[in-house]
Amino acid sequence: MNQQKMLDEIAQEVVKCSRCGNCRSICPVFLVENNENTTPRSKARMMEAVRDGELELTPGMQERFGKCLFCKACKANCGAGVATDSLILEARAALAERNGIPLLKKMAFTGLRYRKLFDFFLRSGSLFQGLVFKKLPDGRGRIARFPFPGAGLSVRRVIPDLASRPLRSRLDNVIKAKTPASKGKVVFFTGCTLNYIYPQAGEAVVNILTNNGWDVVIPEGQCCCGTPAFTSGDLDSGRLLAEQNIKTLTEAGGDYIITACGTCGAALQHEYALLLEGTDSLEPWQAISGKVLDISQFVLQHCDLSQLGSLPLKVTYHDPCHLVRGMNVSTEPRQIFQRIPGMEYAEMKDADRCCGAGGTFSATYYELSRQINDKKLDNAEATGMEVLVTGCSSCRMHITDGLCQRGSTMKVLHTAEVIDMAYAAGRKEQTKC
Amino acid sequence: MLNSTIVNELVAVVGRGHVLQAPEDLIIYSNDATVVSSKPEVVVQPANRDEVAAVVKIAAAHQIPITCRGAGTGLSGGAMPVKGGIALEMTRLNRILKIDVANRVAIVEPGVITFALTTQAAAAGLLYPPDPSSLKESTIGGNVAECAGGPKGVKYGITRNFVIGIEAVLADGSIVEMGNDVDGDMCGPDWTMLFTGSEGTMAVITRISLRLVRPPQVKKTMLVVYDKLEDAAETVSMTMKSGIIPTTLEIMGNSCIVAVENYLRIGLPVNAGGILLIEVDGVPSTVEENVERIEEICKQCGATEVKIARTAEEAEDLWRARRAIAPAFGRVAPSKYAEDSTIPRSLVPELTKRMLILEEKYNLPILICGHAGDGNMHPTILFDRRDKDQTERADKALDELHWITLELGGTLSGEHGIGFAKAPFLRAETGAVGYQMGRDVKTVLDPAGIMNPGKMFFFEGELH
Repeated sequence: MNQQKMLDEIAQEVVKCSRCGNCRSICPVFLVENNENTTPRSKARMMEAVRDGELELTPGMQERFGKCLFCKACKANCGAGVATDSLILEARAALAERNGIPLLKKMAFTGLRYRKLFDFFLRSGSLFQGLVFKKLPDGRGRIARFPFPGAGLSVRRVIPDLASRPLRSRLDNVIKAKTPASKGKVVFFTGCTLNYIYPQAGEAVVNILTNNGWDVVIPEGQCCCGTPAFTSGDLDSGRLLAEQNIKTLTEAGGDYIITACGTCGAALQHEYALLLEGTDSLEPWQAISGKVLDISQFVLQHCDLSQLGSLPLKVTYHDPCHLVRGMNVSTEPRQIFQRIPGMEYAEMKDADRCCGAGGTFSATYYELSRQINDKKLDNAEATGMEVLVTGCSSCRMHITDGLCQRGSTMKVLHTAEVIDMAYAAGRKEQTKC
Repeated sequence: MLNSTIVNELVAVVGRGHVLQAPEDLIIYSNDATVVSSKPEVVVQPANRDEVAAVVKIAAAHQIPITCRGAGTGLSGGAMPVKGGIALEMTRLNRILKIDVANRVAIVEPGVITFALTTQAAAAGLLYPPDPSSLKESTIGGNVAECAGGPKGVKYGITRNFVIGIEAVLADGSIVEMGNDVDGDMCGPDWTMLFTGSEGTMAVITRISLRLVRPPQVKKTMLVVYDKLEDAAETVSMTMKSGIIPTTLEIMGNSCIVAVENYLRIGLPVNAGGILLIEVDGVPSTVEENVERIEEICKQCGATEVKIARTAEEAEDLWRARRAIAPAFGRVAPSKYAEDSTIPRSLVPELTKRMLILEEKYNLPILICGHAGDGNMHPTILFDRRDKDQTERADKALDELHWITLELGGTLSGEHGIGFAKAPFLRAETGAVGYQMGRDVKTVLDPAGIMNPGKMFFFEGELH
């Protein structure tokens, strides 16, 4: 999309903003910073000024547009229905085109484009991470031995271990159903965080699927969904990644495409539209986007909930932004938890408010994202539950970091892990009988 | 006129991080929730009263205009710096200093979000009733300066009924305390009333004492459907005449119902001419009795359906439609003049009739809703500001709406203030003598005219 067309599209959205200020009561960044400069309505106001020739696409604007978690809460709550998410994406792209993007980000996104190189880099990372990071005694992660301000690594930040073997090298490309007859074939889009950092959650997804009678394909050609790149304004890298994924997923076939990360899922379902408009990939993407389901949706629709066994966990749930507002998934995990015998569940206050991770946001604005996260943790701890469950590995990383720093004993699990544990308990109960 | 020496003086007071001058900042602070805009030369964010006083002293010494701003949610251009100068953002003064349960008083700084006060008062077992629809983002300071109202106004009154004390920085930087935390202060004129609704043209409010009340024991909510809007309006008059004072009496006309239904899809009666949302609160026996009597009145006035919520959830369902009005309008057209024409409540039927004529005349949707119980109506003209012809028609319709309001013996503003947007009509409402009095009073307090210049009595455009 050329710059003028993009600005025209932005202008269409901007005119809807009545500047009512409702977003001031919603935006997690504003709620911590109390700064009009970064409210969604101010972003719309700046773009209006650009349209009217009163303001240039300045680095100052880029900085203000950077302060957004892309949590979509403003869009979901906007009375006038301003699509603030696409407005911000397009503005970031226009700003990146004018001013460039920070070198480290640029290098990272370029790295993402080269799937094998990226893979090699992260796999070797697991070998060398000890040089840069030291392990925490409780095994919950690592902290940097020295600060890396450019990479958002504050010394206190607890980051998880890179898996010694990523998910996709632990598993075969095709895994057969564990039941006598197969119900069909599903494709598992693992996403990066699950692949490199939380492979156990990925294994849980595969267990759930195969135990419920589905053959699982994990296509080798899949790569990063592209969200970190295109939300930072690097639409070219985003498009390349999208096209690679569409090609891979089309070739893989299957009845459904399963994701276990709201961000990947939302990208495959909706966000690619922005990248692919006017390209040859638009049609193939439309053909597969309808097949995308989050694992919790798939379990609810296509798995046998009566087989869930007793799981005596005390659980609260955090709605990842891109799962609740990107894929519209919020009741599904809760409905499943209700069906798990022995589980105690308590809703936390503002469960669907952003945890502050926001992908690269937490790297760029670590202290701010920590303050946003602290509110989440206060609400989670107030439930008195022992386990925080969520459907996004990026939230998991950030929340785990926060819990470690405050010395909390609360554990974090992926929705799929909890479901898998309940199914495992169910199978155990049956063998006993 | 704002040179670097002055900027350095400001920086010395509030710190570099709180003096904003980037071109982006000046655009962002150029308007409130209205369509008009005008850039400040600098944005200053003081942290406390003494910083405010120091900033005002600098402004006074150099004759720099000061325009106060809370959350910037105002609907009359009050926070728009028409004459440039300093945009004084008060949101860092956001502490609730005290909730005094025994004396039922809250002492707050002006940057406190109204909802934060409501919540904290509720936690202490008390109620702060004014509930403007922006309460989750607007500030108490802004509410007091513009004298905000809300649905509960029928029974409890609007912001001015709750202000008992104000501390403010005058235009020369001196600090004055008016009123008293003792409810019933009567030492001289009600100065706090003078400053409530003064829209930042007289002083900068830095602390406010607010009266709190006991929350009602119970409340009942009902939704009443009419074929004709006039019948709904008639019910309002009849109810009030009967001596019952409901907490809330909200009216919605047909186009408004349709807009909300298209937005929410909750099964509102789209063929109805009008609906009323009525809430009654108090002690259980009175509430029950009032609900019965209101139901009777509704039926006498031609109501086709009366729904009474049995549970809190059902009441919430009934409220959803009311709360969705503003968002729903946004989906009909991108721009709106959301007015607050307030008329004697017995004339609500007349105003609604006139609006229907106006709608036809200018061929623009004019949606009718409002706090009918105290005559505070919200006729809202919808248009698309990108379309020149539509905008011209909307402007004309708006002018005519103001004339109709005045002709009916009403007031231009029930809760949004005069600010810039309605200033051309102010003299028509106050009369020449009243207008001059307004100018004189302001001049005594602010002889150099630096406090929010170009607004209210000092509007510089053509007067009607």
